[in-house]
Amino acid sequence: MAYFIELLVNGALVGLMYALAALGFVLIYKSAGVPNLAQGALVMMAAFLVWYLGSLGLPIWIAILAGAALMFGFGLLVERLLLRRMVGQPVIMVVMLTLGMEILLRGLIPGVFGASPKSIDLGIGLAPVIVADVFMNRAYLIGGLVALLLIGASMLFFRTRLGTKLRAVSDDHVASWAVGLSVERAIGLSWGIAGIAAVGAGVLWGSVQGVDWTLSTLLFPAIAVVILGGIDSIKGVLVGGLAVGILGSVIPGYLDAYAGGSTRDVVTSVIILLTILVRPHGIFGREDIERI
Amino acid sequence: MTILKRIGQPAALALGLAGAAGGAAAQDKEPIKFGLLQDFTAVYTFVTGEYNQGQQDYLTLVNEEGGVDGHMIEAIVRDTGNEPQRGIEAYNRAREEGAILFDFLSTPVSRGLVDQVMKDEVVLITPLHGRGDAAAGETFPYVFPTMATYWSQAAILADQIKSSDGLEGKKIAVVHIDSPFGREPMPVLEKIAEVEGFEIRAFPYASPGNEQSATWSEVRRYRPDVVFIWGAGGGQSVSVQQAIRNGIDPAAIRSVVWMAETDANNVGADAMVGLKRFEATATGTDNPILERIVEKVIEPGLGAGDSSNVGSSYYNIGVATMTVAVEAARLALEREGAPLTGPKLKAGFEMIEGFDAEGLMPPITITATDHQGGGYGRVSEWTGSEWKPVSDWTTAYEDIVHEEIETSAATYAGGN
Amino acid sequence: MFYRLSGVRHTSYPAARQLWPIAADRWQVGVLALLALLAPLLISDLYLGSYALPWLIWTAAALSLSLLMGLGGQLHFGFAAVMAIGAYSSIHLARGGVPFEFALLGGGLTAAVIGTAFGAAALRVKGLYLVMATLAMQYLVDWVISNVPAISGGAQATLRTPEVSFLWIPIDSLDARYYVALLWTVLMTLFFLNVKRTSFGRALAAIRDKDFAAAVIGVDPFRTKLTAFMTASFAGGVSGAILAFCYYGAVTPEQFGFNVSIQLVAMVLVGGLGSVVGGYLGAGFVLLVPIVLTNLIAGLGAAGWFSISQNLTAHLPLIFYGGMIIGFLLFEPLGLAKIYDNIRKYFLVWPFRHSGS
Repeated sequence: MAYFIELLVNGALVGLMYALAALGFVLIYKSAGVPNLAQGALVMMAAFLVWYLGSLGLPIWIAILAGAALMFGFGLLVERLLLRRMVGQPVIMVVMLTLGMEILLRGLIPGVFGASPKSIDLGIGLAPVIVADVFMNRAYLIGGLVALLLIGASMLFFRTRLGTKLRAVSDDHVASWAVGLSVERAIGLSWGIAGIAAVGAGVLWGSVQGVDWTLSTLLFPAIAVVILGGIDSIKGVLVGGLAVGILGSVIPGYLDAYAGGSTRDVVTSVIILLTILVRPHGIFGREDIERI
Repeated sequence: MTILKRIGQPAALALGLAGAAGGAAAQDKEPIKFGLLQDFTAVYTFVTGEYNQGQQDYLTLVNEEGGVDGHMIEAIVRDTGNEPQRGIEAYNRAREEGAILFDFLSTPVSRGLVDQVMKDEVVLITPLHGRGDAAAGETFPYVFPTMATYWSQAAILADQIKSSDGLEGKKIAVVHIDSPFGREPMPVLEKIAEVEGFEIRAFPYASPGNEQSATWSEVRRYRPDVVFIWGAGGGQSVSVQQAIRNGIDPAAIRSVVWMAETDANNVGADAMVGLKRFEATATGTDNPILERIVEKVIEPGLGAGDSSNVGSSYYNIGVATMTVAVEAARLALEREGAPLTGPKLKAGFEMIEGFDAEGLMPPITITATDHQGGGYGRVSEWTGSEWKPVSDWTTAYEDIVHEEIETSAATYAGGN
Repeated sequence: MFYRLSGVRHTSYPAARQLWPIAADRWQVGVLALLALLAPLLISDLYLGSYALPWLIWTAAALSLSLLMGLGGQLHFGFAAVMAIGAYSSIHLARGGVPFEFALLGGGLTAAVIGTAFGAAALRVKGLYLVMATLAMQYLVDWVISNVPAISGGAQATLRTPEVSFLWIPIDSLDARYYVALLWTVLMTLFFLNVKRTSFGRALAAIRDKDFAAAVIGVDPFRTKLTAFMTASFAGGVSGAILAFCYYGAVTPEQFGFNVSIQLVAMVLVGGLGSVVGGYLGAGFVLLVPIVLTNLIAGLGAAGWFSISQNLTAHLPLIFYGGMIIGFLLFEPLGLAKIYDNIRKYFLVWPFRHSGS
């Protein structure tokens, strides 16, 4: 039983950390309708930036704040220089553009800062948190809490005046224009916030696995989370993250010994397939109504 | 006329350059070309930078000291991004430029090109990557692992446990990345377990290994006495962190060769004290060759990269691979004379006897049948600031390793 | 050269429906075909084996995918897995003694069956969700290949292609391998050019543009989508088999990994959706530009044009490559084929300015 609870708890915490990587993806999709395949690269870039600022001698929390400011600016810049010029083009071409950006950042960031792995020390420590015979991973515990905090903050944000505008824009671009909302500014803002979310994911994952280009591969678990939860729902990110994390931890925990290999990716793939077959728009996603 | 002039100028310039190059070559002896066509941008980035820097710096040292019998060594360095099609292109191009030795430092590229290399009769070195069974020289005449294969590494790690605490009755967990590389040590370890009477169990984690918590919950419940970690890159430091968080003493961890200073920094240099790894070369600059590199290459500013990497684990591995290659070239030139070709260089490799690169690595002897060079290595321990050897250069369970090499090579010879 | 549309008058429907109604285009195709046939005599082994050969095979693969993505509008992010199924099953068939010609067909059929099974998900979802379903296929196939040693070829996970002959000609020399690849790519090209003119091709286009609307006018979306998945998977499977036999010679799971799927999608998109010229240009761009850039930058570095670290030199091609993709899309979002088309149209009526076709 303790084994089950341990798998459950650690899986949930890891899932929250995946959700953090997925948050930026959802924010951009929600406002602009663009699946941002460069979100993983943004996570990597954020981690490298924070590492670099830290290596200049800044205390880690200042480095994180400065990194967040820089990434916010970078998000705005990307929207202004690239995405805005693609408005009205087929979505698949915009996807390709984000893929091009992913390749560019994958070259630029390790090229400039060095490809060998760097480390970010958050001072979390390695001792486990033990509650009633259940070992919890301290880094994941803190990561999960930060993720909860950031996801909660985004949910609250969508209830503010600015957030309401963003929701309106995500509902209907043309109608928003008609009532005088600046769609461009709203989309730009969501890219900026996605940049900040990338800092959270980059720093937490970077402190666990080291900072190098492989951080950009977080995109895939993030996408699984998004598909499961619903691509345009922040609540969905939370639930989807928990589900992917828990199922990807508990099932392999019992199955691996018999399968003779790690079954985590298989479990995740099957979850995605089943979700798509049963609820194509995810748990909390909005069902599209199509016009002929 | 203006158009002609415009075309004419670069052409003349190119001719002039070619003439100058030709003139220079006529004065010196013909250069020896090595193709270091590696993965600088994808899966192997954790090692390639330092490894390749070590290789280039050593070759610069050789050239600064007058080359091999007057022949300069020219390194053709290209990125392949771990993609077979780019590896094939880079290989064919470098071969056209006259390279006779190749190092891809990428298992998929090396495995994909093994047949081609043997057909073209040029030397492929596969230190610490590629096919383990390439140690069988008759089956793979042009492929030289030159360093301990993963099978030998597993055997040496097991042997060190045997000589320190004994193996009998122990429970050993092998936590590995779920890929052919991660599964590679298992057959050898299982056979050793039979001989020595200990229990062994494999715990695979999903690639790329940035998240392993479920696997380690299981490992803890197994209550192992010793844990082998078999991965590479970021997954290794995640493994160590997870082990410590699950109450496993770092001193009980044994790692494959891919464990370096950067991983220690990731885990926390003090937290990892006691962890033991396999090593194929000595670490640090406390060695005649490294001292000469510092003096003649790094200090004059001829180094190929960040000088703080000099002496790191992967840097020294890179240096060691090139010392073997240069020694082989020297022997080949001595016995067979210039110009050097693939078959001559191969013969040179097989003449290497008791070569230890002035103490940088174990003395290796490569023969026509054994391209691994004996499979020597040692175990070293992380002290918090450096790697301290805890065993001598040694080789272990040679019969079991040899059997594994033979069976695998036989399958290759049989068509696969 | 001069106003190439002059003298082109269609007096019958078949004449207007020709693949290349304009004489200048026919000449161009003829010259290119001749060059492709004579390539082994014209270019060195380096360029034949490392550039022309992979370019042809990847073009065939990109065309297979373009059939699904460009004509049918069904996104597929697991196409490398389809190719892997084709490659692995054809090698196992050939090793089992099946003649190469049938092994190729067998590889294609296996890929078609498994590919269609996964494509069944396409009947429920579209767009991004289809991307995810096919991505899941990629991971499942990868897992099976690398976790079943009987498929991947034992502990070393390398499966070598046996020696085979195609129509009694042994496929051992580079020239022979080149011609087999050329034959398959030409077949794929002709198929692709013609499929657009069949009722199946038109049904696909109707589905792509709006599947509900297509259903209303009597096109069965279920059957059409399934057939599209089957055809594309078959072609992808054969392309994978050709890739294994004619180019790699030994297959490892990494050769058909997730990043290869992304590269294939990039080939189709950068080239231009549903275009034959786009298939060729896109495959060439994605496959060869990183290689050319790597050599160019290394060459410039060696000639002393700039002095930067080894690390940055290695990453520069990625930077330029990514930058080029972004640049092309900003410049012409419809891909290289559209750029080619613009140039072609300009010259069709040169020295005049506008053309109707």
